Amino acid sequence: MDIRKRGNKLGFWFFRTSLKWTGLSGAYGLLYFVCLYYLIFDRTAVSASMAYIKRRFRGLSSISKYHAVYKLFISQGKSLIDRYYVVSGLGRFDIELRGYDRIKSLLRDSKKGIILLTAHVGNWQVTMTTLEKLGRTVYLLMSPEENAAVKDSLNIDSGNEKVKIISPDNFLGGVIEIMKAIDEGSIVSIMGDRSYGHSTSEAVLLGDRAYFPHSAFSIAASAQCPVVVLHSAKVSTKKYFVDVSHVMEPRFSSRAKKKEELAGFVQEYAGVLEVYSAEYPYQWFLFHDIWSEENKAAN
Amino acid sequence: MQSNEVQDLAQIKKTLKELLVADLSLEDIKPEEIRDDEVLFGEGLGLDSLDAVEIVVILQRKFGLEVRDLENRKDVFYSIDSLAKYIYENRKKVS
Repeated sequence: MDIRKRGNKLGFWFFRTSLKWTGLSGAYGLLYFVCLYYLIFDRTAVSASMAYIKRRFRGLSSISKYHAVYKLFISQGKSLIDRYYVVSGLGRFDIELRGYDRIKSLLRDSKKGIILLTAHVGNWQVTMTTLEKLGRTVYLLMSPEENAAVKDSLNIDSGNEKVKIISPDNFLGGVIEIMKAIDEGSIVSIMGDRSYGHSTSEAVLLGDRAYFPHSAFSIAASAQCPVVVLHSAKVSTKKYFVDVSHVMEPRFSSRAKKKEELAGFVQEYAGVLEVYSAEYPYQWFLFHDIWSEENKAAN
Repeated sequence: MQSNEVQDLAQIKKTLKELLVADLSLEDIKPEEIRDDEVLFGEGLGLDSLDAVEIVVILQRKFGLEVRDLENRKDVFYSIDSLAKYIYENRKKVS
């Protein structure tokens, strides 16, 4: 669910005004009513969330699952408000960056760039700005449907030359641009929890077989660069942490084992996300059924 | 086209086909079965974007080409013919 897509101008005006006059707490307060509306009337959004919720909270009654969906909606609403709060210059968040020295040394010790493997967790758009101090251009591999929101949140149209977008709709899914960016020492951010029609590998997530895109690992193995997992979480009203401490070096021992080893890298990543969801269950905004065999069609 | 150029192009095509079959793990296909004008991606040989990564690596490591020159060059990746022509015109002296 994306409130930006589902809301209207009047709705945004209420949130903006509330944010200006009452701060974050006031704007968050509005969410409880708005999200209740979506919980009752937006069957698509509820259904999209349920694939994750029913696996994350096994054994819950139907009512409790709906309550969990409600909490997930509110959590994403807060994330969107936080994004606007930062972009509009109303305030800032304290950000604790974990693993910064590691990522810095990776970039220092190699002429190549890195692949940053992100997911729909926490508030990566806000926290991504903390990586600006690395002084490298960050390329986001973004589907057109997400472009508008990301451009707004990262000020891409306002002359932010350090953040650029590569569209997966480009020739060959943008891999030439990605390889070029890595070759030039830049950072390429790829979403790891949704395939958007690209090829996938199977991994067990929350007890069931799910399908994850594997392009980040395949590209990293070919380009001989590391994959740095990035996730973030809101830990208090004014504080986030950004964690880039999990680094993977995907390499294939032989061509024959490529598929098998690719599945191993994907499983490792699924494990990282599972640990994250255990700690921050309402900050993984997984509004897509990655367990559905429809994702397998792209293999 | 001079005879040297013809020979060079033929050799590049042969090497390319061998590398594609080996590095892309193309099963049930022999290098000599790939036609020079066969479309590489989508229909034809049926390669995908991840195969493109391997081809870029081949162009870099085996033929000394720069990936930055390949941006917006969809035409280069069309067939063995187009790849070989690009390599012939742009390769550097590397082992």
